[in-house]
Formats: sequence, structure tokens, C-alpha cells
Amino acid sequence: MSDSESEAGVSPPSGKAGGVPEPAPVLNARGLVKSFLSGKQRLEVLRGVDLDVVAGESVSIRGESGSGKSTLLNLLAGLDSPDTGSLAWSGEPVAADRRAAFLGMVFQSFYLIPEIDALANVLMAARIGGKLGGRERERGRELLARVGLSERGHHLPAELSGGERQRVALARALMNSPKLILADEPTGNLDEHTGDAVIELLLGLCAETKTALVLVTHNVAHAKKTQRSLFLHEGVLR
Amino acid sequence: MPWYLYLALKQLFPTGRRFPFFTAISILGVALGVAVLIIATSVMGGFGQKVREMTVDTQGDVQVRAEGLIENPAELQAQLAKIPGVVATTPFAEGPVGILFENKPQFPGLQGIDVTRVDKVVPIQRYIHYGTLDDLDDDSIILGSQLAIALGARVGNKVSIYSPLLWEKLNTNEIPIPRELRVVGYFEFGHQGLDSSVALVTLREMQDLYGLGHGVHGINIKIARGLDADMMAARINATFPPQAHLRARSWLDINQDFLFVLQFEKNMMFFLLMFIVVVAAFSVTSSLLISVVRKTREIGLLGALGGKPRHVAACFCFQGFLIGVGGTIVGLLLGFGFLHVRDDIVRIFTEITQSEAALERFYQFSHLPAYSDPAYVTAVIICTIVITTLAGLLPAWRAARLRPVEALRSE
Repeated sequence: MSDSESEAGVSPPSGKAGGVPEPAPVLNARGLVKSFLSGKQRLEVLRGVDLDVVAGESVSIRGESGSGKSTLLNLLAGLDSPDTGSLAWSGEPVAADRRAAFLGMVFQSFYLIPEIDALANVLMAARIGGKLGGRERERGRELLARVGLSERGHHLPAELSGGERQRVALARALMNSPKLILADEPTGNLDEHTGDAVIELLLGLCAETKTALVLVTHNVAHAKKTQRSLFLHEGVLR
Repeated sequence: MPWYLYLALKQLFPTGRRFPFFTAISILGVALGVAVLIIATSVMGGFGQKVREMTVDTQGDVQVRAEGLIENPAELQAQLAKIPGVVATTPFAEGPVGILFENKPQFPGLQGIDVTRVDKVVPIQRYIHYGTLDDLDDDSIILGSQLAIALGARVGNKVSIYSPLLWEKLNTNEIPIPRELRVVGYFEFGHQGLDSSVALVTLREMQDLYGLGHGVHGINIKIARGLDADMMAARINATFPPQAHLRARSWLDINQDFLFVLQFEKNMMFFLLMFIVVVAAFSVTSSLLISVVRKTREIGLLGALGGKPRHVAACFCFQGFLIGVGGTIVGLLLGFGFLHVRDDIVRIFTEITQSEAALERFYQFSHLPAYSDPAYVTAVIICTIVITTLAGLLPAWRAARLRPVEALRSE
């Protein structure tokens, strides 16, 4: 674990000197506790996680297998609810209705819909968000071009390589101009070279669009590329 | 288009795939059910309509009979003609006789008709395929086509008629002398029962053969187009004094048992054949359930992207609906296509099995009639679409119950 990991804690980077106010956190988690029943035994996976992420910031979370990284990400995404603790997106309570507009998600297994082509997969986020017009279609094409797939928009996922599929997933995550992207081991199914390229692209896109990023990864090198690197150990972020 | 409808369409008709196998099989299953329903109800409807047409064409819309004979038919006809809605009337007499030609006997029913008036009530001329009503006089007879074949009698031949009066003459030791009538034509209703067991003579001849004097057995009535036959029968009955012992009955009333059986058979066939659609719907349910299991992680993704459970459910329900609509359209095309060429198909089938004569004898008609009742077609369309949409409910419910976090984690 690097020094920055051990010292970073869960606070956002401090604001500039001279009394400039810190930017409002996009994500604000306080005291998240989550436990599961395993047989008759209750396993406490998260034991009071605090995390603030501000706009445009990139944070990586590492941890051993089974340490609860994905559980934490699901809580942050509002897909699961904590036993105790509070969570806010841009200062407001988490609501399923806000998810499409507020956050984008990238998964290890891409999860592209196989029956529709790459562009339609990207536009699916806008469809579910309830706004798909000419501007969104144009943005979808631009995003595909930005991830280097302008010529592959009408290809089905089955016709794309793993790296290409993940790039489509990145474009989909950015489609609704979210404030936060949650990426759960996005390079887990890719070779090292492709994985590096995908992380570079993800970080670059988030920086360009001032989108906050929470990246769950096993890869130390990828973690080091984020502005803040945290380690989940025994249910607590350090 | 809402995302769940878009996705339902894409899951049924994936981009870039010309032949979506699951969709095609599901639609075909439903289509076969619809086609069989359309064919069966239309053919049953055709039989029913043919029988109805034939009944009206031979009996008129309303028939008046007395307990015994109607002794003064002219007076009664004049009285009937004054009733609003009555267009024309014609008297008739009827009864069984023996017909002999070259030692071949047949025992048909003989109908005595008023040749000057009958065509105003029942369009018998339409069914006379050889000769005309004008050829019929007191010394002639028109045979049903099958009866003529059974007797071997042709136009110009003379046949001997033995009426029941002749048996009475035997009792009084008189020598029974049959009436000799010349065959002047054949009629063919297309109904084997009528064509083989009915012959037409003039009313006067029938009155003579049965010793009726001027009496008749009944009066057939044609009513104005669009009027209800039952209502007209009731209106006519209201004009009869109780002591007249006359009773008017509509053709619907006279044949109510037979018509009920026809309708009951049609309804039962509709009900039973609808199970084909139900079975097809179960296969749609099964396929969609497999789809839900196979796409568990995609369903999780939809939730993660912000899709609501009810919209996920709508996606699968809409697939059932689309299969129902597609199956109904294809089924209607198949069904009506079959009906369009039904006679060719039946002809080929009967030629192969050499069963044309048996078919005619058994089913009474020389061709396969069909009438597609709009009410039944509508019922088939609505029932099929409702059933297949319901078939999507269970998979939809399963999909909606999936929690995104668990669905995304599933292997």
C-alpha cells in the first residue's frame, strides 16, 4: 500500500490556500455499514465507510478479493441499500429516478445488449434516461468517435473485441453526461495492454468532461493513475 | 419510442439477423392456432349459412299452418297481404308419395306449389338447373337431381306416382291407378338430403293426389328485407282470431333445434380450438422465461442504467403482445389463404382418396362452404392477443422481481 493510500483517508483533497471554498462533493457517504447473512452467521462486509468525491476527481479503491469493493460500489450506485449510514448524490438523497442522469456505470463484463449495435448500446443510456433526440444521437456518435470506434457504430457486440466492447461501455457510461462514473474492475476481462489503454481513455474522458470517477481495481498501476487511491480493508476505507 | 418497447422489438427482431428463430417459431405456433380457428369457424359458419339460406329459400321467411287443412287459402292470403311487412304469400301442400320408373321405386316428399306465385316467395327457379317453372303443369313433375339419378328418369320420361289415397282405394276393392307425370326438369339445392328426396308438382296436382279439394297445408310468406322474422311471425299471429287455429312461425323458430345445434357446435369448436392458441401461449411463456434467465445480467444492467422494474416487466409483456399480434396477422393470412383455395384442396384430397361421392353424401354439399363471421374473427383476434400478452406476464413478473445488484452478480 502506498503512503498516499494510507494517508488519504476518505476526505476529498483540500481546497486551495487562501480560503477558496472546496467544491461540493458529488458523492457523500457517511458511516456505510453493510452485512450479509451467510448461513446463520452475519458477515459484516462494510463497517462504516466514509467517502467524499468532488466533481472531476478520480478515486481508486483497491482491496483483496471479497473485501467488499463491489458491495461498496453497489451502495454508492444506489443499487443496494446500507444497513446504516447515509449517502447523498450532489447533496441530495439517492433515488432510483435520478440514477440515469446522475451516474454512469462500467462493469468488468461490459454488459452490452447483444441484440443491438454499438451505437444503439451507447444510446440505450439516453433512452432509459427518457431523452433521445437528434442531439443525443449526435452525442452518441461523438462519444463513439472519442473512444476510437467511429467506424464500428453499426457493429453488434459479438463483432467487437473485448477492448472495443469496453470502450463502447465507456461511451455508454458517459452518454447522459453523468456527474459520477462508477467503474467496477473495468479491465478485469482485458489483457494488460488493452486494459492500460481503456484506463487511460477512462481517466482522460473523465478529466475532459469533469466527471468524478470511482474506480475499483486490483491493478496497482491503474490505481496510481487516479488522483486519490484508497484501500478497503476489514470493511473500512483507508 | 420508450426504451422497453424498443428493447422488446430488438429482442424479438435482433439487428442484423434475418431469421430470428425464437420469434419465428413463437409466431408460427400462434399463427397455426389462429389459422385453424379461422378455418374451422368459417367452414362451420359456411355450413350454417348454407343451411339457413336453403331453409329460407325452401320455406320462406314465415310459414303459416293450421291444425288441419287451410280450407280457404285465398282468403287467408288476402288477409296476410294486408299486414305491414308482408311482401308476398304462396300456398303449398306436401306429403310423401311413391314414385316408380322402370321398376325402380323411390319414396320422396312431394311439394305442391303455386307456380304463379311461388317465385315471389321462394326463389325456386334459381335452383332449377334443367327446365323452368313455366314448364310445370298438372301433368308434369320436376325431380330433385339426386332423385332423378336414383330413378334413372330423364326429362321427357313419364314416372308413376302412388299417393296414399291409392291405398284407401285398395280397401274398397278399387283398382289403384297411379298418376303418370312427365319429367320436365331437375332442381338442385346442393343439399343432398333435399335433392334426393323431394319432387315438385303443381299445387292443383298435389291437391288432387291427396284429395285436399281446395285446401292447402300451409302458406309460405316473404317479408320485407331487414325485418325480423320472429317479430313478423308474432305480428301475423296477433291478427289471427283464437278460433282460427292458425299459427305463424318464423324459419328460425321452425328450425330452432337444428340452428341451436349448429351454433353450439360452432361455439364448442371455437372453445376447443382456442386451446391450440393457449398451448402456443404456454410455449411463448416458456421461451420468455428462458430468455429472462439467460438475460439476467442484462436485466440487472437495465436497472443499473436507471430502468424501472415496471418498465422491465413491460418489455417482456410487450414481447408476448407482439408475438400475439404477429401470430394473429400470419394466422389470418394463412387461414383466409386456405379458405380461398379450399375447394381446390378438398378436390385434390377427394381425388386422392376417391371420396368425393362419400363427402357429398355425408356433408350434403357439393362444395365446401365458408362464411367468416366478423364477430368470430374479432373474437379470435382479441382472444389470441390477450392470451399471448398474458403469456408474457409470468416472465415479466420474474424479470421485474430481479434486483439489479443480484442480477449483475449472477453467473
